[in-house]
Formats: sequence, C-alpha cells, structure tokens
Amino acid sequence: MFGLIGHLTSLEHAKTVAKDLGYPEYADQGLDFWCSAPPQTVDTITVTSATGQVIEGYYVESCFLPEMLATRRIKAAIRKILNAMAHAQKQGIHITALGGFSSIIFEEFDLSKNRQVRNVELDFERFTTGNTHTAYIICQQVEQGAKQLGIDLHKSKVAVIGATGDIGSAVCRWLQAKTNVSELLLVARNQERLQNLQIELGGGQIMEMTEALAEADVVVWVASMPKGMEIEASKLKQPCLLIDGGYPKNLGSKVSHPNIHVMNGGIVEHSLDIDWKIMSIVNMDVPARQLFACFAESMILEFEKWHTNFSWGRNQITVDKMEQIGQASLKHGFRPLLSLISG
Amino acid sequence: MLQTATIAEELDFHSEAYKDAYSRINAIVIEGEDEAHDNYVRLSGMLPESQEELIKLSKMELKHKKGFEACARNLSVTADLPFAKEFFSPLHQNFQVAAAADKTVTCLLIQSLIIECFAIAAYNIYIPVADAFARKITEGVVKDEYLHLNFGEQWLNANFAAAKAELQEANKQNLPIVWKMLNQVAADAKVLGMEKEALIEDFMIAYGEALSNIGFSTGEIMRMSAYGLVGA
Repeated sequence: MFGLIGHLTSLEHAKTVAKDLGYPEYADQGLDFWCSAPPQTVDTITVTSATGQVIEGYYVESCFLPEMLATRRIKAAIRKILNAMAHAQKQGIHITALGGFSSIIFEEFDLSKNRQVRNVELDFERFTTGNTHTAYIICQQVEQGAKQLGIDLHKSKVAVIGATGDIGSAVCRWLQAKTNVSELLLVARNQERLQNLQIELGGGQIMEMTEALAEADVVVWVASMPKGMEIEASKLKQPCLLIDGGYPKNLGSKVSHPNIHVMNGGIVEHSLDIDWKIMSIVNMDVPARQLFACFAESMILEFEKWHTNFSWGRNQITVDKMEQIGQASLKHGFRPLLSLISG
Repeated sequence: MLQTATIAEELDFHSEAYKDAYSRINAIVIEGEDEAHDNYVRLSGMLPESQEELIKLSKMELKHKKGFEACARNLSVTADLPFAKEFFSPLHQNFQVAAAADKTVTCLLIQSLIIECFAIAAYNIYIPVADAFARKITEGVVKDEYLHLNFGEQWLNANFAAAKAELQEANKQNLPIVWKMLNQVAADAKVLGMEKEALIEDFMIAYGEALSNIGFSTGEIMRMSAYGLVGA
C-alpha cells in the first residue's frame, strides 16, 4: 500500500474541487475553515506498472492551502502536514510521498522534532519526500531537453538556482558526475552553504542570480520564486532552456519569448494505468498521463517493495540513489515530461 | 501537540488572568467528567448486556474528575461550576430526552462520540501548554478516554445498519451545539494557550475517525463532521 499526501493549489481551487466532488459544506468556506479542517483519505488508487504488476494506494488530502503560508498561519500549516502524516500512518500505508508544499514545510520548520502526534508516534521510515526521483527526472529533462533544442551540454553552462537545497544539490551532483556540462553555475542565498557545495562537488562556479541567468544555456529553477520577481527574457541567453522545478510552477507564465523554452520540471509522463477518480485535482495539463515525480516515487517504492524513507533529510541524495530510482522508474513506465510550454 | 514548549514557558500559570480563565475551563472539564459518569450509569441501564463494562467506564470518569479537581487546587483556583452546568445544559438536555425515549443510539452519539471527542480534542491541545502537574494528570486521562470512544464505536459498528439513520439525525441535532460550546470558551481557551482552530481540527479528526470506525464513508464523514460549522 502506497500513499500520496497532496493539497490544493489555492483557496479558489479548493472551493471549486469541493463543489465538483459534491461537498457543499467545504465549498463555501473561507481560509479559517480550511485551517480547522482535518485530513481525509479522498481516493483509493490502483496502479498497473508497465511490467503488469498492480499496486493499491490512498490519496490523502491534507487540507493545507498555500494561503496559510502567505498569511503567516504557520501553526495551521504545520498541523496540516503532521496530521496528514499521522492519518496516513493510521491507515497502515507502507510508504507515503509528501507532495507539493508538504515536504517543504516539513523541512523548513524542522518537523522531525514533532514525532508525537496525539496517540500516534510518527514512523518516518514510512514517508518519503520523493526528492530523489524528482531530482533524477529534472536531470533527465536537462539532458534530453537540451538535446531536443540542439543545445550541446559539452559547450554549455547550466545554472542551478537554489543549488544548495535538497533537490538543487542532488541535481548539481548528477550534472557534475554524469554529464560533460562545460560549466555549472551555482546560485543560492546562503554563501556558506554554497561554498560547502562547491567543495563537495570539486567544481562549479558561485554566482549572483542575474549574472548566472545572463550566461546560462540551461537554467534549472528549484528555488521558490521570490514574490514579485520578474524574469526578463531579454536578459537571458537565446536560445535558453528553463526548467521549472520549483513549487508552484509559474515560470511558464512569467517568460514569453520564442527563443526561451520552458519545461515543467520534476514531472513524469507515464504509460501506466492509474485508476483514480480525483486525478483532476492534481492540476496537471494531461492528468491521465502526467504526475509529479515525487508522487511517482512512492509508487516505485511500493512496486519494488523498498518500504523505506528513500528520500529523507536534507542533502542526502546521492548519484547512486538517483540511478537506482531512475532505473526502477523506467522499468515501471515513467518518463520525464519533455514538452515545452513556450518557444 | 504542536504548540511548542516556548509557548508554555510564556504562560504565567499564577497570573490573575490565567486563573480566571482556568476557573471556567477547569469547571467545564470537571462537569464534563461528572456528566460522563452519570451518562454511563444511565446507559448501563439501557444496555444490560454491557452493564459491567459501562459501570467500569463510569467509575473511570469519576477518577478523572478527581484528578482535575486536584489540578485546580494545585493552582489555587476555584472552579466555576455553575458556569459549567449551564455550558453543558443543551447537550445534557438532549441526552435526557433521548434516554427517556430509550434512544440508545442517540445517547451513545452524544456521550461516547461527541462528549468523548470534545474531551480528547481539548486534552490533546491542552497537554503541551499545561502546567507540569496538570500535564501529567491529563496525559493519563487521554489514554482512558480513547477506551471510552472505543466502546461507543464498537457498539455502533456492530449495530451500524440499524443505527445509521438515527446517528445522522442525532448528529444534525447535536453537532451545532458543539460549535456553540467551542465558541463560548474560545477566549478563555486562548488565555490558556489553546487555539480555537486547533480545537475544532482535533475534534473533527477524533470524530471523523470514530465515524469511520463505525462504518461511515469518507463522503458521509466529511458532511457529518462539518455539519453546522458554517455560521456557528
């Protein structure tokens, strides 16, 4: 049994979904209500792998909404994630992926300290951030996307914005070890962490964001977008491949230029048969055929019976683990999403 | 659970404001345990096959009551029992009417689900912000309360088909009272470091889990547990 902890993308989205699913009690409510709403198992999922193997899972709606962070209702946000995790564990789920903001909140507010949730002691072995698979898929998107656009990585610079984060550092490790990228440009806010990463990688150049954006042939964006930030297409190299691995995904709407190509990062296309009623709520362009790579990770772990927190803690993702999850990902029918939003 | 120790440290358990709020919250807890005792005694007459177990549960409630009385003494607070009696009167009244009509299902919903979940939610949210003495006592009580919840769940689960319609009706009659009760104590609870939205959430989690164990579907649980919350 696998699990996915998800949430809706905004209060408006939540109202629409509640109405569509036939819950008027939830549809007409403001943010206060969602701050008090309990987690729910809203769907059961049956997944058939390309190998023919069939697994079952649950989709747990945490009732978290991004507006809780925007309005600094941090305690509510934290409760949503921990309660959803306790709920998943009580259902007896072996491995659950923390989707969307869930893993970000878990890391940011150091929730590993809050092991006891009422009468449930959280067993972190049963959860995964899904970041190993997400990082692997983003790297595939860099390699295959560049090729698709005629960008030769051997002669190209790749900027990683948010390089010191869990996914960012994993992407850097892979690109350094497994590709012949001409230069890796490392961008992040914390200088000390950047220097440590540079030492660990044995390479890469630390840069300011504007400088890096001007020089990069490929930009991997894995940081959250600062509020009000604009990216000017005229200040980017042309052509340029922008991979939006942040959450929520909004680069596509921010940059519009025929030579700037945006790809939604960390998303897989698949040929699997996934039977779930509420797939429309996950906000994919093609819900039947696309999925967040972090969600796919819990499915892969269940297929392979790797019932362990495959992705956990900060900056623990190794190239070996990315390869391991990557091979299993291919085996079961997942592929990196390679379609471009603009260009 | 989630309110950290730093919040507990900020509370001055001996300030007048804290003790004033505590006099009402503590009284509610004492009165709640007392009501629960009486209700289980009454239920034991309605369910002779479970009489022994129900009497055991009722005794446990009296033990809890004594524990919470000690908490008040520890802080030199006098519980405002008249306030608490008034606070519980709508639920008390509904229980008495249902018992007189021999409506076991409604009585179990009021006592074993609503009152127990209300207590569990309040205790869970209180524990991290309680003074050391009260924390220890409340932790012990919470463990027992889950047992009470189990009794109602098991009985209603075993009789689910026959009980379902009455449970839904009783839910409609009684859940809006819970939201009113929560609103009534929100300000006092806040003085004690307990937030209303966390209390509602914990109640809905406990109540939703109980309904699920009884046999309701997710859709039914979502509708039932949010009933009357709008405009409360």
